[in-house]
Amino acid sequence: MKKKAVSILLAAAMTISLLTGCGGAEKAAEAPQTEKEPAAQESEAEQAQPAADSQTVAEEPIKITFWNSFTGADGDMLTDLVNRYNEENTDGITVEMDISADFDSQLSTAFAAGTGPTMILSSSAYRFTYGDYMQDISDVFDRTNLDKTDFIQSYLDYCSEGDALYFVPFQIVGYYMYWNKDLFTAAGLNPETPPSTWDEWAEYAQKLTDESKNVYGSGISYDYAYQIAHIMQRFGGLAVTGESENWKANFEGNSGYAKFLNMYQTMVQNGDNPLEADTDSMASAGQIGMTVGGPWVTAGLDTAGVNYGIGLIPLGDAGDMNSVEVLGFSVTTAASDAEKAAAYKFIEWWNSENAEGSSPALEWSVANGFPAYTYSVQEKDAYKTNAKLSAMSAANPDAPTDFIVDSSFPGTNAIIADVIPEMINSVAFGSSSVEEALAKAQAAADKITADY
Amino acid sequence: MKAFIKYWNKPSRCAYLFLAPSVILLILFSVIPLAAAFGLSLFDVPITMNAASFVGLANFIEAFHDERFLNSLKVTAVFTLLEVPLQVFGAFVIAAFLTKNNFRNKLFRAIYFLPVICSATAVGIMWKMILHSNIGFITAVLQTMGFGKINFLNTPGLTIFVVSFISLWRSFGISAIIYVTAIQQVSASLYEAAEMDGAGKIKQFFHITVPSIRPTFWYILMTRFAGALQIFDIIYITTNGGPNYTTESTVTYIYSRAFSSASSMGYASAMSVILFVIIMAVTVFMYRKMNKED
Repeated sequence: MKKKAVSILLAAAMTISLLTGCGGAEKAAEAPQTEKEPAAQESEAEQAQPAADSQTVAEEPIKITFWNSFTGADGDMLTDLVNRYNEENTDGITVEMDISADFDSQLSTAFAAGTGPTMILSSSAYRFTYGDYMQDISDVFDRTNLDKTDFIQSYLDYCSEGDALYFVPFQIVGYYMYWNKDLFTAAGLNPETPPSTWDEWAEYAQKLTDESKNVYGSGISYDYAYQIAHIMQRFGGLAVTGESENWKANFEGNSGYAKFLNMYQTMVQNGDNPLEADTDSMASAGQIGMTVGGPWVTAGLDTAGVNYGIGLIPLGDAGDMNSVEVLGFSVTTAASDAEKAAAYKFIEWWNSENAEGSSPALEWSVANGFPAYTYSVQEKDAYKTNAKLSAMSAANPDAPTDFIVDSSFPGTNAIIADVIPEMINSVAFGSSSVEEALAKAQAAADKITADY
Repeated sequence: MKAFIKYWNKPSRCAYLFLAPSVILLILFSVIPLAAAFGLSLFDVPITMNAASFVGLANFIEAFHDERFLNSLKVTAVFTLLEVPLQVFGAFVIAAFLTKNNFRNKLFRAIYFLPVICSATAVGIMWKMILHSNIGFITAVLQTMGFGKINFLNTPGLTIFVVSFISLWRSFGISAIIYVTAIQQVSASLYEAAEMDGAGKIKQFFHITVPSIRPTFWYILMTRFAGALQIFDIIYITTNGGPNYTTESTVTYIYSRAFSSASSMGYASAMSVILFVIIMAVTVFMYRKMNKED
C-alpha cells in the first residue's frame, strides 16, 4: 500500500511540475545578486564612469547578449541589422541576439536566477515590472555622440522615472484608423474622407455594412484590449490618473466610457460590427470597412492587396490625443561596465547616419512603418515621402502621449490585461449592462490602484 | 573496489542503481518544483521573485473568492466531462475496427495519429482559421448549405464544445493506438474458443475484448482525466479563454496570473496547488477503483 501511495504521489508530482515549470522557484525569497542599495549603485556608477566611456570599448573583443521578442518578419530584419553591426563595427563588439516568443518568462526566470542579458528590447512599461533589474542609462548621451535634443522629449519622458532614463527609444507604437477605400466607394462614401468623429464612425459603419457580402462597416474586436483602450481614452480620457500612492481609477460615472460602450453594443446588435475576436484577418480579407490597429495591420492589408487609407483615430469627447507605447533598448543590471559601454556603442550605431545619410533607425522606421522618435529621421526624404509614415506622424505633437493610464502609473498591464477585457466582454456578450460593467471595472481598478 | 562491486552486484541492490537516474531526475524536476510551488503559494511574490512577503493562506482564501478562478474550475470540469468520455469510449470503438494489420487499417491508424504529432500551435491556428466566423472554410460551407452563419469561436455556450472537439480531434489518435495494441495482445485462442462455443463478434467483443483490455482502459481514463484537467495549449491558441471567459480553463487563468497582468507568482502557485489537490483526489479515486476491480 505504501508503494502505491508513493507511486501516486510521484505521478501527481509529475503532473503539477508542468504547472510549476517556470523554474527558479527555489530562489523565491533570495535577493538577486544584482540588487543593491541605491547609494551603492550610485557610487559604483561613479566608479564605473571611465570604463563605460565609449573610448574604452575597443581595448579587447567583447560579446554582449541582446534579448527581445521580435519573432515576426521584423525579427528577420532585426537579425540582419545586428549581423551587419557585428560585421561592420571596429570596436570588437559582438552582439549575440536571442529572439524568443516566450521573452517575458525567459526574462523573469533569468532575473530570478540572478542572471540576464546585457541588453533587452521591450516596452518602456517593463520598467514597472523589472525596474530593479534595469540600469539608469541617462549617461548614454554624455558617453556617445547621440544628441539628446534630437530625441522627441515626450517619448524620452515615457522611458524615464524622474531623472533616471531606463530606455532609449527604438520604436513608437501608436494606433491608427484604417479604412477600406473600395468599400467606401461601394457604399457611396468619399474614399478620401474617413470619419473624423465617432458619430460619423457609427453612421459610416451602418452604410458600409453589407450582410449579403459578409461585410461589416466597423471592425472593433472585443478581444483586442489595446485597440479598445486606445478608442476608450478618446471618449473618456485616462482610466487612471493622479500620482504615486494617490492613484484614482476613472471608470464608474465616466460618461465618455459609457458612451463608447453603448456605441459598441449598438453596432454589434445592429450587425454593423462583428462579434469576433480576430477582426484583423477580416480587414485583410476586405470584409471590414473601418478598423483601428497598430502599424502591423498594414502588413496584412498590403499582402492581401487591399486598397486602404490610414489616418488618426477619430476624436472623441476627451479631446486631442496622441496615445502611444514606446519600445526601447534597456541595459540590465546583469551587464558589467564594459558590457554596458558596448551596449551604448550599439545603440549609438543604431541611431547614427552612415555616409549615405541613412541609419538603422531610419531603415527600420520606413520598412516596418513605425513613426520616428527623432527629429533627424523625420526630416529624411525617405521618411517624408512614405505616405503611411506621413499619416502616422500627423498627430498633434503637443497632444498628450499617455496611453490609457498616466504614463507613470505602474499598474498599466493589470488595467489592460484584466480590467478592460472583463468590461468589454461583459458588454459585448450581454452579461452586464454598461453601468454594471463600469462599476465592476471601477472595483477591479480600485483594487489595482490601491497596490501602488 | 572489489567489495564495492560485490556489494552492488546482487540483483536486489543493483536494481537501485538502475533506478537512480530516473529517481534523481524525478526529484530534480518534479518533487522539488512541487515543494517549491507549495512554498510559493504561501507568499506574495512578483514575477522576478526578488521580494517575498509571507501571507499564509491568504492566496488560497483569495482564490476561493475570485470569480474568474471559480469560473475556470467550472469550465475545466465541463471540458473534462465533454472530452474524456468521448476520448475513452470513442477511441475504443474506433480501435476495435482497426485491430487487424491490413493496409486499410494501417492507413487509418496513421491518419488518426497524424494530429498527435502536430504541434498544438499549428493545430490551434488551423482550426481558428477554418472556423472563423466570417472567413472560415467550414463556416462558409455550412452557410452555403443553409445552416446560417455559425459563430463557432465567439458564442458563449457553443465555443466550449468546439474547443473540446478540437482537443479530442488532436489527441484521440494516441488513445486509439494504445487500444489497438492492447486488443492485439489478447490471446487469439480465447476468440477461437468463443467462436467454437457459438459466440458472435459482438459477444466476443463484450465478453473477451472488453475485460481483457481493462487495465489499458483505466490507464487511458486516468491519463486523459489528468490531461483534460490541465488543458491549456489548444484553448490558449484558439480562444485564449474567450468569449467572455466561457473557455478559460484553470491552467489558462493560472498562466495569465503568473506571466501577464499583475504577475503574481504566489497567487498562481496557490491556484496550482488547488488544482493539484483536485487532480490528486481524482487520480487516487480512480486508482482505488481500478485496484478493486483487479
